[in-house]
Amino acid sequence: MYDIVNGLINTTFGWNWPGWVIALISHLLVTTLLFAIAPFQMLFLTYYERRAIARMQDRIGPNRVGPAGLLQPIADGVKMFTKEDIVPAAADRWVHFLAPCVVVAPTMLMFAVLPWGPGMVPVDLNVGLLFFFAISSISAVGLLMAGLASSNKFALLGAMRAVAQMVSYEIPAVLSLLAVVMLTGTLSIVQLIEAQAGLFISSADVPGVPDLGLGWFIFTPVGLLAFIVFFIAALAEGERTPFDIPEADSEIVAGYMTEYSGMKFGLFYLAQYVLNFLLCAIAAVIFFGGWQGPGVGWLYDRAISPANPDGNWVFNLLAGFLGVFYLLAKTYAFFFVMVWLRGAFPRLRVDQLMDFGWKFLIPLTLVNIVSAAIWVALLRWGPEQGITFTQNWTPILRWGVAFAVTLAVNIVAYIALARIFAASQAEQGRIDLDEYRDTLTATLR
Amino acid sequence: MNTGKLAFPMPLPAGVGTPSAPGGLEGQTSQEKPVRISVRRSRVDGCSTKDPAMFKTEELQINIGPQHPSTHGVFRMLVTVDGETIIDLKPVFGYLHRNHEQIAEQNTYLQNMPYTDRLDYFNSMANNQAYAMAVEKLAGIEVPERAEYIRVLMVELTRILNHAGALGFLINDMGMWQTQLAFGMREREKILDLFEMASGARMMCNYFRFGGVVRDLPPEFMPKLKELLVAMPAFVDELERLLRENEILMQRAEGIGILPKELALAYSVTGPVLRGSGVPYDIRKAEPYSVYDRFDFDVPVGSVGDVYDRFLVRIEEMRQSKRIIEQIVEQLPDARGGHINPRARQNVRPPVGDAYARIESPKGELGFYLVSDGSPRPYRYKVRAPSFINLTPLGDMCRGYKVADVVVILGSIDIVMGEVDR
Repeated sequence: MYDIVNGLINTTFGWNWPGWVIALISHLLVTTLLFAIAPFQMLFLTYYERRAIARMQDRIGPNRVGPAGLLQPIADGVKMFTKEDIVPAAADRWVHFLAPCVVVAPTMLMFAVLPWGPGMVPVDLNVGLLFFFAISSISAVGLLMAGLASSNKFALLGAMRAVAQMVSYEIPAVLSLLAVVMLTGTLSIVQLIEAQAGLFISSADVPGVPDLGLGWFIFTPVGLLAFIVFFIAALAEGERTPFDIPEADSEIVAGYMTEYSGMKFGLFYLAQYVLNFLLCAIAAVIFFGGWQGPGVGWLYDRAISPANPDGNWVFNLLAGFLGVFYLLAKTYAFFFVMVWLRGAFPRLRVDQLMDFGWKFLIPLTLVNIVSAAIWVALLRWGPEQGITFTQNWTPILRWGVAFAVTLAVNIVAYIALARIFAASQAEQGRIDLDEYRDTLTATLR
Repeated sequence: MNTGKLAFPMPLPAGVGTPSAPGGLEGQTSQEKPVRISVRRSRVDGCSTKDPAMFKTEELQINIGPQHPSTHGVFRMLVTVDGETIIDLKPVFGYLHRNHEQIAEQNTYLQNMPYTDRLDYFNSMANNQAYAMAVEKLAGIEVPERAEYIRVLMVELTRILNHAGALGFLINDMGMWQTQLAFGMREREKILDLFEMASGARMMCNYFRFGGVVRDLPPEFMPKLKELLVAMPAFVDELERLLRENEILMQRAEGIGILPKELALAYSVTGPVLRGSGVPYDIRKAEPYSVYDRFDFDVPVGSVGDVYDRFLVRIEEMRQSKRIIEQIVEQLPDARGGHINPRARQNVRPPVGDAYARIESPKGELGFYLVSDGSPRPYRYKVRAPSFINLTPLGDMCRGYKVADVVVILGSIDIVMGEVDR
């Protein structure tokens, strides 16, 4: 944004304003935009989810307010605002009041490092990915606050479930991203996207092919496995079916949200949908190239950027639009998968959730990190690191061998771990029916 | 033609012994073809952490209900949990008590017919039949053949709609957000349309009268019914595929809420819950009433007695009901008599005496016990409600499982609070 504002004011108009004014203007612009975008995403996603799931359930979905029901989320928002805000008499007033803020604030902060298009990132932190996940964990504190302060048993159970789930599934999520970080050697989200330009064939692009922006990590065995694990963990972090255990309406009413009403409840809802959007977006950014796609690179080469200060701002607009389009298309596609799962699966039980996370996903990500190391060693390392046998290979050959080896490692690991997991479940699960009956019928005698 | 074989041919678990249900089970044999081999363990043994060396834990008492989204009405479960594990559960009911039996004793016999609709509001036709049969027994009223066929047709349609709805609610309780429920309700709507055609009402049908049914089937009924029969297998197959192929659903259903055979019999549980536990007891076979002895159908039984068995039993029962309806469609045109016995008085004054009539309602054995003192009002009117009696073993079924399993087990019993509390 700084480049665009600078280019517009100082180059196009020639006003020669000082740098700090331009920085201030650009930051204010960006914050305003983001604070408008976040609730808008929530509004849109609720509408999208309700329409999509209605189709799966042989219904129409919201269709009364506005054309095709498009204004339904706004009507819901108005309803939320006009509802009475109830604080239970036994509640800890201040903690009860603060909890929604503690939940919402981190999700808003996470927007700070999300790149929307080429050159369109609010803050390009060099540890952006770390920031993203560090901040996202803070909302677990808010959930626990909500559950404890409500002094309601369902809320307490829900909060305990939520915290246990978030803490457990953060590990596979971060470990799966670690594999991608190893491939690129950077934690900056902007650089991670830039690494996904071109085609994902060796470090050198195939000569003669234009920048298609298709070098996504999903096309590598390491990235594919990491994506699967990450998406499952994202479902758990975002409390989506089949992991919507903390707010399982058929078991514990609404979990930690039970005692909230009015806009405080709305804030939890907002945080949840914004978090879902962000998790889908980060999956799109890390594994599917974010704004990368055919055409964006070509347009951005002609735009105003640090590398090319004499570009044309029209190309900035075009590249930005196309980039945002690609990012949102990928994000909404992932969100559709979330909705789809919600329509098709029941939820797991707490112990099953924990088993799956700790006994299957985490070992899988650990193996994936090993295969990421193999990938890097075969592709990048040379004699300096002590690897000499790849010295005379062409980039394509190196890429091919690395692909085959990591694919084999990952498939073997997946099958073996799945077998071990299934065997351990079965071991746990074999009931001696006669003995079982005896213990139960003993209650009769 | 009481020679149906078991539709769920499963060996009885070792050490359980041969089925010992009252009456008429000869001719039902089980084949050695297990549908299910192993069961997952879902129940925690030694669930309490009462080791003083460990850090102190506290038991928590939770009231699930009476205002809870998944207790199927105003029903309360007083649950004691240790963390997430149930260590005790007490079902508390009575919140929907509306003095049904006392009111019935103030009404004439015919005035009670619409009251029975409100017992199990999903299956008004089945309630009507049980009550009409009790009064007919008491007053000695003959029912023409055609009326009997129409009655059985309606009750079997009721069974299909009840099971479609019950499985939908059960899967909804598991957290599948109404998808299955919506499809179950779609099938239910088609059957309700048929009810509307015949009786004028969709849920509170009030269709039966002493000696028959209130009016004959309209001419457009049969074509619609045949359409429904053509479309139904696809729905049932789809439902079964969902249950057999959805890994998460299997994890939530297998080995959950096991009700052993002895315990089931000791609690006098009936219906799909009892058959899921492996007892092939079905009143339609054990004590054939109406014209059930003319139809060829099977009684599905489970082997383990968990939620999953109750699932499968219900699905198979839908298929068997369809079989019965197909035979009715064949035999109905040849049936003698009209839709009602023209000599049957509706304002009955039965002679002094008592009568008990029971039918296999979709939820289990539904019985009406009537005592007459010769007046136009019953002296005593007692309902043996399957939902109520099936609910009693809930505490034993839930102990040791997780909080999340309670709603699934409750859903698998398939209760309607209108019938539990009366």
